[in-house]
Amino acid sequence: VTRIHQLHERLHSAVGPAAVLDAAHDAFEEMLSVIRPREDPADGLFIPLVMAAASAAEGRNAITFAPSLPPRRLHPATTAQEPSDANAKAFTAELAVLSELLASRLTDVAHSAPDNDDQAACRAAARSASDIYALLIGSGP
Amino acid sequence: MMRRATFGDFIQAAHWHLDPATTIHGPAAARGSAEEVSRSLVRVVTVLRRYLQDMTTTFNNVSTHPQAELGSWARAAIEAREALRNSAGFLNTHGAVSRWPAIPAASPLARRLDSVAESLITGRDLLQTHFSLGVYGGWQHRSEWAFVITSSTITRALLTEIASLSRTIARQGADVALTGVSGSRDNAEARRALNATCQWLWVLNASVQAAHQREPTSAADGELLRAIPVNIPPPRHLPDGSESVTALCEGTAATAQRLRHLAWDAAEQARWASEMSVTSMYQVAADNTVTSHNCEVLLRTLAARTKRPESDHVSAQLSAAADAARRTRELWLRTAHAIDDINTDTHGQVLPAAAETRDLVLWTGRLAYADPDWTPASGPTQTARRPESLAPAQVPSVIAAAHHVSATLTRLARAEQEQIRTAAQAGRILVTTRSLSDEFDIPRPFARAPRARVELLLSHYRDAERSSQQVTAELARAAETTSAPSRLLTAAVAAVNSSQVCAPEKDKMPNGFVGADTHREADDRPGPVERTLLHLGVSRPDVLQRGADIDEASSRLLIDAANELEPGQRRPRATMLSRSAGSAEVVNHALAVGGPRAVALLRRPPSPERESPEHEP
Repeated sequence: VTRIHQLHERLHSAVGPAAVLDAAHDAFEEMLSVIRPREDPADGLFIPLVMAAASAAEGRNAITFAPSLPPRRLHPATTAQEPSDANAKAFTAELAVLSELLASRLTDVAHSAPDNDDQAACRAAARSASDIYALLIGSGP
Repeated sequence: MMRRATFGDFIQAAHWHLDPATTIHGPAAARGSAEEVSRSLVRVVTVLRRYLQDMTTTFNNVSTHPQAELGSWARAAIEAREALRNSAGFLNTHGAVSRWPAIPAASPLARRLDSVAESLITGRDLLQTHFSLGVYGGWQHRSEWAFVITSSTITRALLTEIASLSRTIARQGADVALTGVSGSRDNAEARRALNATCQWLWVLNASVQAAHQREPTSAADGELLRAIPVNIPPPRHLPDGSESVTALCEGTAATAQRLRHLAWDAAEQARWASEMSVTSMYQVAADNTVTSHNCEVLLRTLAARTKRPESDHVSAQLSAAADAARRTRELWLRTAHAIDDINTDTHGQVLPAAAETRDLVLWTGRLAYADPDWTPASGPTQTARRPESLAPAQVPSVIAAAHHVSATLTRLARAEQEQIRTAAQAGRILVTTRSLSDEFDIPRPFARAPRARVELLLSHYRDAERSSQQVTAELARAAETTSAPSRLLTAAVAAVNSSQVCAPEKDKMPNGFVGADTHREADDRPGPVERTLLHLGVSRPDVLQRGADIDEASSRLLIDAANELEPGQRRPRATMLSRSAGSAEVVNHALAVGGPRAVALLRRPPSPERESPEHEP
């Protein structure tokens, strides 16, 4: 089980704004940390990955402005290993699935959260997640 | 693509209005009223004086130096100012000068001069758009071009243009002054005053010629002057996939120029603007990483296209530029990684420059890759443009586009540093406390970024800036070799640099050559005797040559005599010297053809003992 997969599960099962925000924050951060080492100019995915990393950082930063984000992590850092020889196609597919779920869960919270600042943070982070998805499946700007 | 107005449009218009072949103002040979011409000449002289006033900021403390200590061009600027003051002294310059006469003039020359004044006023307005009044009343630079405009290179080029216009106006004005028109209400005094005004315009021309003889300007200086654009950004424009290579090059260069313009204001806004955010910083760093990557791909294609068995000089220059672009990409990427560790007090909004860095990604991508609909999401299937798809004639334009892009990446790196430094001073660069270890118990989500972290971030931008500069330097060489249009960028940088290290003896521009027309020393029109012979219908070459010899001899006699006068001896006023039409014609001819020495007819020449000493090598 990869770390991305673990985070997907956590985000999927999160209940309430605080839990979703906490999982989303960690998911963006994890995406950033797995994308950075793979930004290889010799790889055809270099450009989408550089831009996806910027969007992941953007999503994470947006969530830090949400008042309902717990000041401390609700879960310890994930321990699963990211296979270094993972196939590029499988890797981007996994990230695309996670970013799609992120966009969906954050949009839900943006609609349901009572706090305006939570709503704004979730909307901004959902946009970043959508950008990542579009870049990775090849329909981005 | 819409082109921005340049200073050249207006200076060219001024020359065009004076061209005898231009007939919209009436036939060139038609005479007019000296009084009316004088009224129109006031407008021209007034705006020329304003140009000269503007120049005093370039030659620092120009009015306080004894003339002998000044460089040739600074001295020419002072003498030109004095000549214009004397010129204006013969015209009625009281009261405000309107931009345009209330009633159109009747005389063709007056109409020409009114149009010249209008062009010069608009040209000066264009230059002024690069400056604004500061809080404390001083002038502030509002664009990167402001440094070029105040450079000694541009001042010299502007003086040369002013001299050229003055020479033409003097000739045409003196024609009206010395030719009585039947039925004209002109009195002799008005004609003498107009003639004296024109004589001082010849003096201005002679002063500039003298400076040019000592320190020649190059044609490239004039090109740079004429290329100065109005200070508005080119309009935003995105490719739609139908563009030719030429259109892609134009779009890329225009977008790069637009971004440089937007980056200029960004630092000023950093202290307070909510758009100065980590979002902006990410966007610039990520987009510039990709733009550098696209540039490397494009430059390798160009290097392959220009490779020749007999000479691969350009190809080697382009390969060096591609290598520098690769390093720049690595450094921008490192910068993006460094931003991962910081945050700002605002989020989501972006500065105008950052909002459009993606445009440059798109333009460079469309140039670099074969797919005309390329986007950053195109993925692993993207292939670079084939070298054979570029026609040899397109190579300079592609080099120019890449040259503009690298200059923009340099400017953006500098702007980002200025913004971050300003924002850090205002306490706006933060770190998340969530990212800190549990040992820290800070009851807020953010804390001010430690100084070391800000400095580390700035060092990444500095490295990216230096590397972008390296790409620009390599491309400047390739642009020079291939005569790419972006050579002006190099000329602009050289102009600014030459002013920064400016000393009179260091002002000479390398590889300068004298433009045949703008620096022509003598007026090639016939003198009074030869002209009279022509009016008589004489066509025998030997007789005309005798007339020309007599004209030349009389001019030389007058000039030699004027130069031998005692330094303390007062010169008569120009109107006294030209009291009769005959003597005025002879003096005019001497001023027109006599070069710098002819100035002695109206003004005391500088004493030899006051010449500046030669500097030790």
